Amino acid sequence: MSSSVTWLKRRALWGLGVSMAVVLALTGWLYGSVSGDLALQQKQREAVLVANAIGASLAGANEEVAAERIKRWKAELPSLESALVVSGRQLVASTRTEDAAPRGLKREEKPLFDLATALRSAGETNVSEGAVRKKTVQVDETEVGIVGVTVPYVVDGKFEGIVQARIRDAGTVAVAPGGAWGLALGALAAALVIGFVLLVQSQRGFDIARGVAVVVLLVLAVGFQQQRLGEMSRATTAADLAISKVQANAAAAYRRTGAPTHVAAAGQASTWDTDAYGRPLKLISADGSVLPRSDAAQKDLHTRFLDRSFWGINLVGLVLLLFFVQGFAERTANALRDHADAYAYVMPAMIGMLVLVFFPFFYGIGLAFTDTTLFNESTPFRERWIGLDNFIAILGDFNIVTKSAEGTVFDYQNFYWTLMMTVIWTVTNVVVGVTVGFILAMALNTEGLRGKWLYRILLILPWAIPNYITALVWRGMFHPQFGVINQFLQMFGMQPVAWFDGVVSSFMTGLVTNGWLSFPFMMVVILGALQSIPKDMYEAAEVEGANRWQQLKSITLPLLRPTLIPSIILSVVWTFNMFNIIFLVSGGEPGGANEILITKAYKIAFENYQYAYAAAYSTVIFIILLVYGYFQTRMTRATESY
Amino acid sequence: MGERKNHFWIHLGLISFTLISLYPVLWVLALAFSGQQSVGIIDLPKDPTFLERLRGVLPWPAHFSVKNFVDVMTEQPFGRWLLNSVLVSVMTTVLGVFLACTAAYAFSRFRFPGRDGGMLAFLVSQMFPGTLMLIPLFIIIVKWLGLGNTFWGLVIVYATTAIPFCVWMLKGYFDTIPIDIEESARIDGASPQTIFFRIILPLAKPAIAITALFSFMTAWNEFILASVFLESEAKYTAPVGLRFFVGGFSSQWGFFAAGSVIVSLPVVILFLYLQKYLVSGLTAGSVK
Repeated sequence: MSSSVTWLKRRALWGLGVSMAVVLALTGWLYGSVSGDLALQQKQREAVLVANAIGASLAGANEEVAAERIKRWKAELPSLESALVVSGRQLVASTRTEDAAPRGLKREEKPLFDLATALRSAGETNVSEGAVRKKTVQVDETEVGIVGVTVPYVVDGKFEGIVQARIRDAGTVAVAPGGAWGLALGALAAALVIGFVLLVQSQRGFDIARGVAVVVLLVLAVGFQQQRLGEMSRATTAADLAISKVQANAAAAYRRTGAPTHVAAAGQASTWDTDAYGRPLKLISADGSVLPRSDAAQKDLHTRFLDRSFWGINLVGLVLLLFFVQGFAERTANALRDHADAYAYVMPAMIGMLVLVFFPFFYGIGLAFTDTTLFNESTPFRERWIGLDNFIAILGDFNIVTKSAEGTVFDYQNFYWTLMMTVIWTVTNVVVGVTVGFILAMALNTEGLRGKWLYRILLILPWAIPNYITALVWRGMFHPQFGVINQFLQMFGMQPVAWFDGVVSSFMTGLVTNGWLSFPFMMVVILGALQSIPKDMYEAAEVEGANRWQQLKSITLPLLRPTLIPSIILSVVWTFNMFNIIFLVSGGEPGGANEILITKAYKIAFENYQYAYAAAYSTVIFIILLVYGYFQTRMTRATESY
Repeated sequence: MGERKNHFWIHLGLISFTLISLYPVLWVLALAFSGQQSVGIIDLPKDPTFLERLRGVLPWPAHFSVKNFVDVMTEQPFGRWLLNSVLVSVMTTVLGVFLACTAAYAFSRFRFPGRDGGMLAFLVSQMFPGTLMLIPLFIIIVKWLGLGNTFWGLVIVYATTAIPFCVWMLKGYFDTIPIDIEESARIDGASPQTIFFRIILPLAKPAIAITALFSFMTAWNEFILASVFLESEAKYTAPVGLRFFVGGFSSQWGFFAAGSVIVSLPVVILFLYLQKYLVSGLTAGSVK
């Protein structure tokens, strides 16, 4: 009894101790890293602001004026280490006299030219796509104590060149480290843990202590976190205030450079304080005051991120606590110790599978409930969450057919059209494969046939060739203009067929290619089964006077069944998932009409960049396969036991 | 007499079908040895006659030449792509076989908590559809780990996706090795590591060879992941490179054909050599 109480005490001590330590440490660490981000972001915002201001001051300036204004900037802003302006192949102006601007760029300055070209094309991409996808501001943090930023400068909506500014780190808003708070809490936690352990004197005490522990853990954690959140919120405001001072200084400097001034209404957002895509952040005004954070999405991202992450941390702490207190930890430790060899052998493969098979699978399913695309991929997962919308969009759209004056039009992008095509594709292919394979196997099974092995080897070749090569070969043979198949048709006076322009003809290209690819498997499997049928059964049937058709029907087919059914099941799944043939032969032409489900999912992901929609599509495919698998096992069981 | 006549018709049918089914193979060979790039075997005159068209369909090049093979290896980056494929496949094989051998050995010889669950999990993972994995894998490998456009990204994905099949196969083989051998070695004082590396692995050579071949072929023939992960032309593997010759707007069919022959030859020879084994392996589990 006493030893079991010792164990309970140990559990309690470890449970509360570890979970408390983990929660406090993670909270402190996360806070530290986020406040680091905030400081970094503030530095970058200040640098970008100054660079943008310099760029704005260059409007309508020729080389001499530009050089003058750049020098002026340097004189006005002590934090500006250096600045230079590049337009085309020309170094237009620089604050460093040794640069001897204006002059052409030197060979070793090609990176500058490349950077200008990259920023220009990024900006043009964003404009032409009507989206913000490519960053138009480049930040360089490689120098200690200096932030280098490169921004495009745009005059009348036209890209003129780039401004590269190096800003000395002027000391950022100090975020209170909160070390004292952490220490105090640590001491409190330690005291609580000891008290908690003392509480465990019996099984009953342990049961009470369990409940108390959960409350203690949560109260401590949430208290500490709320204090951190308040700190973060204050730091954010302070950062905005500091940047607004930079804005005020820059605005004053701007006026003194003699650049044409734009009259900004009081309280209008600064156009210099932008994000990495050149969009104004609208957090400070042009005259250097802090604007109220208006729209919700913008509302202090750092604090919101911390808030959310803290709940995650608390969950981890709670799980840890239960893990120890409920005795799982004990059992795991024992198992690990007793079977150390076994786990060491399994571990490498298990880790690989967890990271690259199981995690991606569940991540993919999670992705299906978001609206992730290429463009918003870096935003936090919860902001992208949209629930079942993707599934509703996929499964709830029944507008397959549109009847209009011009006739009936099918919507080839509709899920149910693609599903129908996939079913037709699978069924026809399996029928073709089984039929051809069966006829060939019957022929090869003829007794006393010479050269059997040669036929077998030659007929198995299509299976041996990598299927992407097969697909591309058939694509070449179906070439509408020069392909041999059309040559062959024309040989007999027929018209050449534009194979990939019609829904049916395009489907045929896939069917023929996949038929060619898949009959050898069926042939080999059926041949093997045929050879195992005892000859005397046929002899007996002949004695009974059964003709060949009757023999086929009552001996061959029933005995083939156990082989044929698993092979058909296997080949249904293969055909259903036959990505390469559709993708490489017809590419789903015309207009996506011949797409099957998995090629469709691929195109949604990698041609439209709608990752989440494609993930939902794939999840639906997975469910279809699961349902198929379920019915198939039931069917096989039924046939086995008849 | 009737027996013989019967065989004549069967032979006729089989020969014609074999010719039809061999035609694509002959077509590729004809293009590969034609020394030109067009998708037609010969250049047809305007308004060709029946015989000229027939000539155009026959899979025999107008001029026999190995120019395509020489050019594709020297002028085109195909040699590089081939080398990339060899590199990726060999690394996949080494990594895959290592991971599979150790795990299969543990599953076969040790009884530990989580053993059955682990094996079942391996089996279930075979049902995960490729496209559902493709997007998360792309995000993990390319966006998070920054392994896009590197061989390592491909290698770790190929090796891990091949694990379940390899583990199940190797485990089956390890099970057939008598445990007495290990026990006597243990009595002689051999450590578990020594037993595994010095006794079990050498005994399991045939199964390991098959596993290695399977891993190699998986990596050698893989096309989708490679085309998604690899961006720069210099990093292409042979499948992506072959598609590059004839996909999109380019139509260098001669290079494609020559490259295809080079890529397929080892695979086809291996396949024909192993075909019996493959068929029995595929259907062994399901046929009662």
